[in-house]
Amino acid sequence: MARQDVTRFVGSGLGGALTRRDVLRGGAALGLGATAFRGRRAAAQDPIQLDFMSWSYSVETIQDNIAKFQALNPGITVNYTDFPWFDYPDVMAARFLGDNAPDVAYNSDHWLTQWADADWVVPLDDNCPNLMAYAADFAPYAIQGMTYDGKLYGLPYYADLVVFFHNAAMAEQAGFSTAPQTWDEVRDQAQAMKEKGIVEYPVNIPLAKADPWTIEFFYSMVYSEGGHFFDESNEPVFNQAGGPAEKVLQWLHDAINTWKIMNPAALEVVEPDVVKSLVAGQSASTVLAKYNLAAVNTTDGAHKGKFKLALMPGSTHETTGFVRFYTLTRHAVDRGAEALDAACKFLDYNGGKTDGVYVVQKRWAIEKGLGFAVLPLYDDPEVAASIASWGDVALEREQATKARIKEGLTAWWGTWDVFAREQIHNAVSGSTAPAEALKAMADKWTELRGYYGG
Amino acid sequence: MRNHDRLSAIGYRLSARRSTAYSWLLILPPLALTAFFSIYPFIVAVDASTHRILLTRPKKQPYIGLDNFREVLRVAEFRDAAVNTAVFAAMTVPAVTLLGLGVALLLNQRLPGFGLLRWIVLLPWAIPLVGAGTMWRLLLHGNTGALNGLLLELGIIDEYITWLSRPTLAMVAVTMAHLWREFPLAAILFLAGRQAIASELYDVARIDGAGAFALFRDITLPLLRPTLLIVLVYETVVSMSVFDLLYVLTGGGPGSATTVLAWYTYATTFKFYNLGQGAALSLLMAAAILVVIVLYTYILPAKEERR
Repeated sequence: MARQDVTRFVGSGLGGALTRRDVLRGGAALGLGATAFRGRRAAAQDPIQLDFMSWSYSVETIQDNIAKFQALNPGITVNYTDFPWFDYPDVMAARFLGDNAPDVAYNSDHWLTQWADADWVVPLDDNCPNLMAYAADFAPYAIQGMTYDGKLYGLPYYADLVVFFHNAAMAEQAGFSTAPQTWDEVRDQAQAMKEKGIVEYPVNIPLAKADPWTIEFFYSMVYSEGGHFFDESNEPVFNQAGGPAEKVLQWLHDAINTWKIMNPAALEVVEPDVVKSLVAGQSASTVLAKYNLAAVNTTDGAHKGKFKLALMPGSTHETTGFVRFYTLTRHAVDRGAEALDAACKFLDYNGGKTDGVYVVQKRWAIEKGLGFAVLPLYDDPEVAASIASWGDVALEREQATKARIKEGLTAWWGTWDVFAREQIHNAVSGSTAPAEALKAMADKWTELRGYYGG
Repeated sequence: MRNHDRLSAIGYRLSARRSTAYSWLLILPPLALTAFFSIYPFIVAVDASTHRILLTRPKKQPYIGLDNFREVLRVAEFRDAAVNTAVFAAMTVPAVTLLGLGVALLLNQRLPGFGLLRWIVLLPWAIPLVGAGTMWRLLLHGNTGALNGLLLELGIIDEYITWLSRPTLAMVAVTMAHLWREFPLAAILFLAGRQAIASELYDVARIDGAGAFALFRDITLPLLRPTLLIVLVYETVVSMSVFDLLYVLTGGGPGSATTVLAWYTYATTFKFYNLGQGAALSLLMAAAILVVIVLYTYILPAKEERR
C-alpha cells in the first residue's frame, strides 16, 4: 500500500483519517512513554541484597534490629543467617574458603588476626572511612581487639569482661559475708557450702572443648594471678614451671577430682547450662561473661537477685576484656560500590549512632545486660539504672580498669586456641600433668609460628 | 570352501572387535565416574600431601616433599590418635561381630514375634549417625543424662557418672554407642548367611548325635566363614574410620581421649587449617586400612572348609 493509504487504513479504525503528522506525533508519544516506563522501573529497582551472618544469640532481637534498619533504608534488604556459637569459626572459614561469604558478619578478637591475615575481612579505614570517627568513644581494650596491623576492622556489637560472681546468700549461709579474694578462699567457701549441705558442687565453670569461651576463662584465671601468656615478641611464657598457668590448671583439676567442689561435668557443660544451674540453686559461683549476671539476677526463681559481682579472685584481680564486633568482608568490597555502601550503612546502624544515640548497643545493654565498648553509654541514666538493677556499676568499672585483652593474638592464635583447649582438658581431666599440657601448648605455638613465618 | 573359511574368520574377527568396542562403550561411563570420584581425588590428595597448604594462606603452596608425612608421624598427637584407633577397633570389632552373630542365631529361631523382631533389631542401624550421636550425648550427659537417672533410680549408682568428662569412660561411651549402631547390620548379614545353610546338614548331624555346640562348631561356623570375613572387613573399616558419631558425641574429647585418626585428620584440616598435613594423614589412614584388609584375607580365606 502507499504510505497515505496506510494512515487512512489506521485512521479509519480510530474514528477519523490520520495524517502523517499524527502518526509522527503518536510515535514520539509512544517513545516518551516507553522511556518514562523504563524510568519508573529504575526507580522501583530491586533493593540491594545484603548478607549478614552471626552466631545464635537473641536472634529475635537481631531480626528486629534488621527490620528497623530496613525501615530506615528501604533500598537495602538484609538476608540474615545464624549458626551455633560453637560451630561459628568453622562455618565462617568454610564460607570464606568456598567463596560463599556474607557481606557483614559477627567477628571476635579470637579470630580477627586470622581472618584479616587471610584477607577474608577488610579494614574500615579503607572502605568505610566515615565510620572511623566513632573510635574516639571506644574503650581502649575494645579498640585493641578490633585492630589489626594498625587498622580498625569493625564497629562493636558488644564488649564485656569475664567476671567472677557468686550467690551471696549461699555464701552467707555457709558463714561468709564477703566475696572470696583468692582462689584458696573460693575453695574454702565452696568446701564449707558442701559440708553444710547447701550445694553439692558449688563451683561451676563451663570448660567444653568446642566452646571458644573456654580459653577466655582460662586466660582470666591466669591473669587474676598476675600471669602472662606471651611476651612482647609473642614468645610463650605461660609454660614457666610453677607459674600461674600451671597453678590454675592444677586448681581446676583438684576442684573437680580431689576437693570435689566443682561440677564434675564441667568439661561437657557450656554457658547456658551453667546459667540454668545457678538459677536453680545447684551451683553457687562461676567465672562467666558479665552479661550472665543480668540473666541470673533477672530470671524468676528462688535465687533471683541473690548473685553478686566480685573482683576476679587472685593476687592482682585482673581479668580478660573482650570485644565482639560487626566486620566487613572482602566479599562486600568485591561486589562493588553499591553493595559496599549498603554494608557500611548496616555497620553504621548497628555499631554507630542513629540520631546521635548508640541505639543498638544501648538496646543490648538494657535488654540483655551486654557490656558495651562505647564509654559514653556509662553516663546514660537508662543504662546506669539497668545495670544497677542486676549488677554493680562501680565494681564493674573497677574490674574494667584491670581488664586486658588476650595476649598473642596473631594469625595463628585461632588455630593454637583449638589445640590449647584440648590440652586444658587433658590437664583438668588428669590425662596429663599440667606442666606437660603447657609444654605441648608451647610446642604447638612454636610449630604454628614456623608455618606462618611469625 | 577356503574362501568360505576365510570369510568366516574375517567375519568372526570383525564381530569380536565390535563386541569388544561395545563392551568398552558400556563400561566407560561407570569407569569415568569412578575415575572422577575416586582416582582424581586420590591424585589430588597425593599432590596436596607434598605441599605446605594452609587454608588461611591459599596463595602460598610451596612444594615440601615428604615433610608433611615426617611432621605428622613425629608428633605425640598422631601416636595417641593411632593408639586410640587401635584400641577402639580392638574393642568394637569383636564385640559387634560376636553380638551380631549371637543375635542372628537367636533370630533364626522360629518363635512367635521374631519376624517383627528382625525388623526392630534393624532400627539402630537405620538412624543416621548424627542423630544417634546426639541421642547418646543426651543419654550420657553428666548432669542431666537419662541413663544416669535410670541407674540412680535402680540404685545401681549413688551419683551421676560423668561418662563424657572422664577419658576412660568417654572411650567406653563411644564404644557403647558404636556397638549399638553397628551390631544390627552384622546380625542381618549373619542371619542371611545362616539361613543359606542347608537344613539337611543339621538334620544329618543330629542323627549322628551332634549336640548344639558341635553343630555350631562344625557346621555353622565354617559355613559362615565368607560372611564372617565380610563382617570383619566391613566393621574394621568402619571402626578405623569412625567420625560422625565421635563428632557429635565427644568431639574427640575430653581432651584427646577419644581422638581417633579420622577425627585427628578432620581437626588437622578444618580446625588447624593445614590441608597438606590433613592429606598426608588421610593417605596414611587409607594405607593402614588396606594393610588390615589384606591381612584378613590371608588369615581368613573366603572359601569355607568342609570336613
